[in-house]
Amino acid sequence: MSNEANTRSVEIVMPTRIGYERIAMDCSASFARIWGIVAERIEDLKTAVAEACLNAMEHGNKGRPEARVVMTLQLEDASIVVQVKDEGDGIREIPPDPDIQRKIEELEPARGLGLFLIRHLMDEVELNKMTPDGHVVRMVIRLEEAAPGDGSSDRVASGQG
Amino acid sequence: MADQNEIGIENRGNICILDVKGDVTSASEPFFAEAYKHPDVHGISKILVRFDKDAYINSGGIAVLIQLLAETKRNGQEIGITGLSEHFKKIFHMTGITRFADIYPSKDEALGVME
Repeated sequence: MSNEANTRSVEIVMPTRIGYERIAMDCSASFARIWGIVAERIEDLKTAVAEACLNAMEHGNKGRPEARVVMTLQLEDASIVVQVKDEGDGIREIPPDPDIQRKIEELEPARGLGLFLIRHLMDEVELNKMTPDGHVVRMVIRLEEAAPGDGSSDRVASGQG
Repeated sequence: MADQNEIGIENRGNICILDVKGDVTSASEPFFAEAYKHPDVHGISKILVRFDKDAYINSGGIAVLIQLLAETKRNGQEIGITGLSEHFKKIFHMTGITRFADIYPSKDEALGVME
């Protein structure tokens, strides 16, 4: 990787501690602001990053404090690519979109909205990307002011494991 | 870590206002449960939940709100929400919460409509 490429990338490493996702949120917001993402999309990014980190801590690392979550922000062409890595083995079953009516009627658990939010707030999402040292969720937000979720570029890989 | 909520309870005629201070996460569950048990809340026909404009609300917090909506629906109570930032208005719309609770731009506007 060239030096120029290195200056377009930031990595933060967190222990598994609920609440530390806010550090990742603030870091991603600062990075996005530097590269000109509009305020509304920065809020989308913050929420997606928070949910990806929470999933990594709760499900990937199973709450083990010593297990690390690594978030990498990278400017690529006209996009910011965010990768959140945990020490788990991926998402076994991609949940369907939540049914709020069933949740309110207590026919399904109230929780389970994190992936839904990530998928609807980011321009591209790739789940279950496996690397030698962990599982990665890869998210892309484009620099231009475009509404997310128009369906043209959403990408969700199938589950593994 | 600031994972505690303070939920103020204010009665305005037939409406009870739950004034939620702080971020709303899964850690908020006992605070909402405690507030809902209060006689001024449990026995009233309409509830207005007011959030801090700059509150951090994550999926765990939305789940806590869904639990509250389930309880109010079971008890035949009407619920309104105010104090949300534009981002969280969008999130609440996206998740379908707005099908079960009206979102108001301000407390005064909410009271004007709900009363």
